[in-house]
Amino acid sequence: MSATRTQPVNPAVLIAAFGLVIVVAVPFAFIVLQAIFPELGRGSLAAPFSRILDVLVDPRLIRMTGNTVLLGVGVVILSSLIAVPLAVLRALFRVPGALLWDVLMLVPFMIPPYIATLGWIMALQPRGYAEQLFGFNLAPFLFSIWGIIFVMTLNTFPVIYFAVSRTVEAVGSRYADVGRVFGASAWRSFWRITLPLSTPGLAASMLLVFAMAIEEYGTPAALGRRAGFDVLVTGIDLRVSAGPSARRGAPLLSRVRGVMCFGAFLSRRGILPRRSYQITTGKPQKLEKRALGRWTVPVVLAFVVVSFLATAVPLLAILATALSRTISGGLTLSNLGLVNFAAILADGPGALKALTTSLSLGVAAALFTGLLGALSAYAVVKTSMRGRGLLDVLTILPNALPGIVVAVGLILAWNQPWLPVTPYNTALILLLAYCCILLPQPVRYATAAFHQVGDNLEAVARVFGAGPMVAFQRVLLPLILPSLLASMLLVFAVATRELVASIIVAPVGLQTISTYIWRQFEQGSVGLGMAMAFVTILITTLLPLIVLSLLGKRGSLL
Amino acid sequence: MLINTARGSLAAFALLAITGTAFADVTVYTAGPASLIEKLAAGFTEETGIKVEFFQATTGQVMARIEAEAANPVVDVLISASWDTATDFAERGWLVPYTSPNAANVPDFLKSETAVAQGVSALAIAWNPNSKTPKPSEWADLAKPEYKDLVNLPDPAQSGATFELVAALEAQGGTKLFEDLAANGAIVAGANAEALNPVLQGAKAAVFGAVDYISFNGKDKGESIEVIFPASGTVIAPRPAMILNWSKNQDDAKKFIDYMLSDAGQAIVAATNLMPARTDVAANRPLIGDLNILTIDTEAVYAGREATLAAFAEIFQ
Repeated sequence: MSATRTQPVNPAVLIAAFGLVIVVAVPFAFIVLQAIFPELGRGSLAAPFSRILDVLVDPRLIRMTGNTVLLGVGVVILSSLIAVPLAVLRALFRVPGALLWDVLMLVPFMIPPYIATLGWIMALQPRGYAEQLFGFNLAPFLFSIWGIIFVMTLNTFPVIYFAVSRTVEAVGSRYADVGRVFGASAWRSFWRITLPLSTPGLAASMLLVFAMAIEEYGTPAALGRRAGFDVLVTGIDLRVSAGPSARRGAPLLSRVRGVMCFGAFLSRRGILPRRSYQITTGKPQKLEKRALGRWTVPVVLAFVVVSFLATAVPLLAILATALSRTISGGLTLSNLGLVNFAAILADGPGALKALTTSLSLGVAAALFTGLLGALSAYAVVKTSMRGRGLLDVLTILPNALPGIVVAVGLILAWNQPWLPVTPYNTALILLLAYCCILLPQPVRYATAAFHQVGDNLEAVARVFGAGPMVAFQRVLLPLILPSLLASMLLVFAVATRELVASIIVAPVGLQTISTYIWRQFEQGSVGLGMAMAFVTILITTLLPLIVLSLLGKRGSLL
Repeated sequence: MLINTARGSLAAFALLAITGTAFADVTVYTAGPASLIEKLAAGFTEETGIKVEFFQATTGQVMARIEAEAANPVVDVLISASWDTATDFAERGWLVPYTSPNAANVPDFLKSETAVAQGVSALAIAWNPNSKTPKPSEWADLAKPEYKDLVNLPDPAQSGATFELVAALEAQGGTKLFEDLAANGAIVAGANAEALNPVLQGAKAAVFGAVDYISFNGKDKGESIEVIFPASGTVIAPRPAMILNWSKNQDDAKKFIDYMLSDAGQAIVAATNLMPARTDVAANRPLIGDLNILTIDTEAVYAGREATLAAFAEIFQ
């Protein structure tokens, strides 16, 4: 306790700890308790451990674990191969139409993965849109491990693109120029100076992509089951939805996945702390980008190809389905019309209410996780508090839990009869669920950003009499804001479309965008669901752009 | 600034959330179609003035929620898509015995002391007439070369009705039919809606064991789809409605069951293309009496569920 005697507890750390306990530790504790006491939901501690022992032997577990790792690694590699070169070019050179490319890279973020997958299926399956228009289908490719990796990569590579282009931009060409002065070639100074200094952003975003890939349910379920490619998430869902006798395997499967997340997380901790990445030192620096010269055409072409595949194809497939009166009618002029959009308008109250609910929940979740994420990252990176390792673990924990498990944990925790007030059965429970599931995003982005901020800056503020909260708010927060905003955007995008937890914990009578779309699909109204999805993608893409340009922050994010 | 904005918006949000909480008179959890419960709730409120809130999801998701809530349950009426739920909950002693006066015309096999069917769906072949394949009339037709690589099956691990169909057909003729289907390139494609979609677009020609009312609804919208009930028989999935014994609104819940079985309520059921539970209510589709229904020994079939599913997965690997 000697540390606390000499130094009062930093309020930022206290707030972070309190927030993490409410958002992460409480539901997690109930999940662990339920795994041990299966009757917990009924308020009983009977039959402890009866379920855990039941499931330890399942031959499929090993295969599913292997598939999950393969999928995660494949998506990370392909995403990096696409995103890193584009991001570096975008950061260091004057790419024509840079803002346009940024917006187009933002759209895949905003397309819910299950919608994008359905779009790809309708485009590439036999007699799909590609066959109707151009006479070919790619079903064997799509319904294979390569198809899954391809579709998931197109959904997740923007995470790496935005993180790396922001980080490399922050590193700038200044350090590389020093290398050049000392005789290194342009390539050499990039490989030896710029890229290594950008490691925090790259590592953080690759970790996120890995976590997103092994968490994603819709794509492997729709494409993989046909190829006999089972992953842990689809295994968990099968067990949860299969009924009480089979459900007992679910916690174990999610734990295996949790172990994987921790593994990736620890390896990142292993890479980072050995060196210093502090590049934001307070010295003013010129942001000067170079011209592309004769590389202009190939580089622009690369941006065109990637945004065509990632943005145009899924959007067009979604739009084509939304405009079709019937699916079996195909792409003929007489079958196209605005019937589905008209139906959404006619169902004004229901659809509009779902939109408002999801958008306000998305904004609230982004603000809340942004704040909590910044404070937690600060506590972990910039203080020497005891127990900060524990805070760090709490911030990664949600990555280890699938949405459906978080949902069940939240119900167990907040539906106890002795609670005087509870967020359960109000929209707040959805906010808690989204915050828990998405907290790792802002934390990882903010942690990476804090690693790049020199310690001196905070020290200077403290020397000049600022308290810890003032130093955090006035000096550190503005410095990490670009990264933080990018992650909050991600939270907004994912929260407005989260499906699994939303279905389970949504208060009775409340619909979100995703449950609305899901219900249309369940009833066979694919066109109506796609029309709603299209409207949602437009709104969720435009809304952040408008907000950010109003705030005057556009330059730093896009 | 960020902190203040966050605080402000959270406070506003909390207010919104609290004022937005409705305290309904009856809370219904249903695994049926959303449009059905919407119309039933609206009609019930209009007739009785009693408010209804509902939660709609798949049977598995509804069960997960009820189990997690068990310490402090809020559900009054449960409508499942599987009769298994009614049996299971009755064994656990969670149900209120109630026989609605409107249930007189519901046949005995669609009601018990504690549950009564809301409506009934059946499994069928859903076939796309534009698929350039001959019209199938029997399950076994789909194993013929004309349908090579063109047949989808819903996953029996995800759909209770499909599981019962598999069990019933295997009880009739063993696993040969499914082996033939697999050899003919038929694939297992997710839950019911997922299996139907490729047939509509034409990637596949037919679904083996499609839920009939979804296909009828598609046909009503102008989709090119036909629903065929094989003469050799099929299975039905009655959707049991039941009142939970922890309900604090049991009188209102009983009124809801009464309304569901009234002329008006059953007409709403028929309008969603489900078979009404009451035999004296007309519907614009084949009714229970028109179908050859395969019966299964429920207890034995469900006791062997894991083995049946494993064998099925083995065939279609």
